[in-house]
Amino acid sequence: MDMIVDASIFLGKFLYYFLESFAYKIIPKRKKNVTGEIVLITGAGSGLGRLLAIHFASLGAILVLWDINQEGNMETCRLAKEKGAVKVFAYTCDCSNRQEVYRVADQVRKEVGDVTILINNAGVVTGKLLLDTPDHMVERSFLVNAISHFWTYKAFLPAMIKANHGHLVCISSIAGLAGISRLSDYSASKFAAFGFAESLFIELSMLKKSEVKTTIVCPYFIKTGMFEGCTTKHPFLLPLLEQEYVAKTIVNAILEEQVYVIIPKLLYFALILKQIISPKMMIALGEYLGVDTCMDFFKGREQANELQTEIQRKHQ
Amino acid sequence: MSSGWRSAKKLLVFLTKLLLTVLEAVVFTLLPKPRKSVAGEVVLITGAGSGLGRLLALRFARLGSVLVLWDVNKEGNEETSKMAREAGATRVHAYTCDCGQREEVYRVADQVKKEVGDVSILINNAGIVTGKKFLDCPDELMEKSFDVNFKAHLWTYKAFLPAMIANDHGHLVCISSSAGLIGVNGLADYCASKFAALGFAESVFIETFSQKRKGIKTTIVCPFFIKTGMFEGCTTACPSLLPILDPEYAVGKIVDAVLQEKLYLYMPRFLYFMVFLRSFLPIKMGLLIIDYLGIFHVMDGFTGQRKKQ
Repeated sequence: MDMIVDASIFLGKFLYYFLESFAYKIIPKRKKNVTGEIVLITGAGSGLGRLLAIHFASLGAILVLWDINQEGNMETCRLAKEKGAVKVFAYTCDCSNRQEVYRVADQVRKEVGDVTILINNAGVVTGKLLLDTPDHMVERSFLVNAISHFWTYKAFLPAMIKANHGHLVCISSIAGLAGISRLSDYSASKFAAFGFAESLFIELSMLKKSEVKTTIVCPYFIKTGMFEGCTTKHPFLLPLLEQEYVAKTIVNAILEEQVYVIIPKLLYFALILKQIISPKMMIALGEYLGVDTCMDFFKGREQANELQTEIQRKHQ
Repeated sequence: MSSGWRSAKKLLVFLTKLLLTVLEAVVFTLLPKPRKSVAGEVVLITGAGSGLGRLLALRFARLGSVLVLWDVNKEGNEETSKMAREAGATRVHAYTCDCGQREEVYRVADQVKKEVGDVSILINNAGIVTGKKFLDCPDELMEKSFDVNFKAHLWTYKAFLPAMIANDHGHLVCISSSAGLIGVNGLADYCASKFAALGFAESVFIETFSQKRKGIKTTIVCPFFIKTGMFEGCTTACPSLLPILDPEYAVGKIVDAVLQEKLYLYMPRFLYFMVFLRSFLPIKMGLLIIDYLGIFHVMDGFTGQRKKQ
């Protein structure tokens, strides 16, 4: 008898959510107001981080900008103020360093308050074949792209849970859903970031009526200079993304409290296929989409790499 | 005009390949796939001192392979060594190695290269689980989880892949987990490390593919919980769809997948369906299914292995 009741409740809810999702395809979802929210963005000194900061500035949020590069961070600070941000706080922080994250987080808590929107965006890429990538660079990829998320969550999540109010945003990548040649360390770190964010999302969902939201973003390559030199086999079907478009899509997704965001939408379809087709078919599909050749002419950011090697020398 | 032709040609090539692979897949579901011989192959298994690693060692012993066993636990490793010899292995080499430590991995790898030869089948199996809720898990324990479950793969690949490439002969086996496909609560660090292991193995596979190294195979294994004691106390609400796996069954399927050179192995089969659903189902429906299958509570009774650390 119990089983039948359980099953009926399940089917009832299932049908309801199914209809609800259809409704939302037609009616636009409500966008939440983030005025006064404290938004922390790692890697805010350039690229996507900078654009996200500017968008949140125009939405009236209080900005906390973290980056290892002080100059870039200050520039973002200036641009955000121009856009009308009332309060912007910039901190130089190497988020791969656990003690530094905790120290700067304490500072933020004292000087600004409890972070309510955490955007883990900082990322580095080496772009070489595995056997050509030096060990310390592989480790660095991990520390910045994935392990830093452990520390920022530990620093800011408790307050969010206590206040039952918060939003965790993880900037993963398409390389966090499918392997790509010459991105083995980057891909593994983005997979880790995705899995970690998803696991915490399920953990938070278990706390009934949890108002701590999660958004996991997986974009294709974005033209921010980070993936300079990357090519795409199909500029029409799968173009390299414009920064502004990606930033707007991400901010929209955060305001609508979407959980998974894959950019461009075509890749949703490719990922669904990936799960149903045989491995050889998946290889053919991957080849068609260029996962084996897109990084062949990768150059990346010259500046960022120099800064990294300098930091390495200092730590040694 | 010509770029239009090029796109059309690319599409045609892709569709033809797709058709051929569909036919191949259909044929192989009907006919049994040939299983390769691994007699004489040098098989290295990390975490061979207990659980799945030990069972894999025994299976490969019976298949006539040369065994190289790594584990941080010397006693367990010696026991596996003895059992493997009893199972008929003629050459078994056991090394004590903490594969979360990069320098140790390189040092022992050099020893293996001198004393045994080039490893041709690498099975990254070593794994630990803390089973604590994220905010209750000490930082050092999380780092260790990541070191053993994932970073070890980086170092072993770096140590043994060059020789495999030089000989154009090798097989990389990654023991990931169902927690490497879908996030599970109470396993945040474990999930992160298993996702990373899967992504890494997949990426390197694409790399070997793009570099046209046809002799190097990859197998990525994603099992649900296996009754080896590692996940002692875990429960499943749906034993028909998501059973806690019997170790002999699991190891049998893994070895079979390696012999058939399969790329992915998800156990049980229901996982294929779950991952497929996750890829498109709206989130509320997904959570509803997870709740119904009791996955929210799988880790509630977790006690883990009572091992001496």
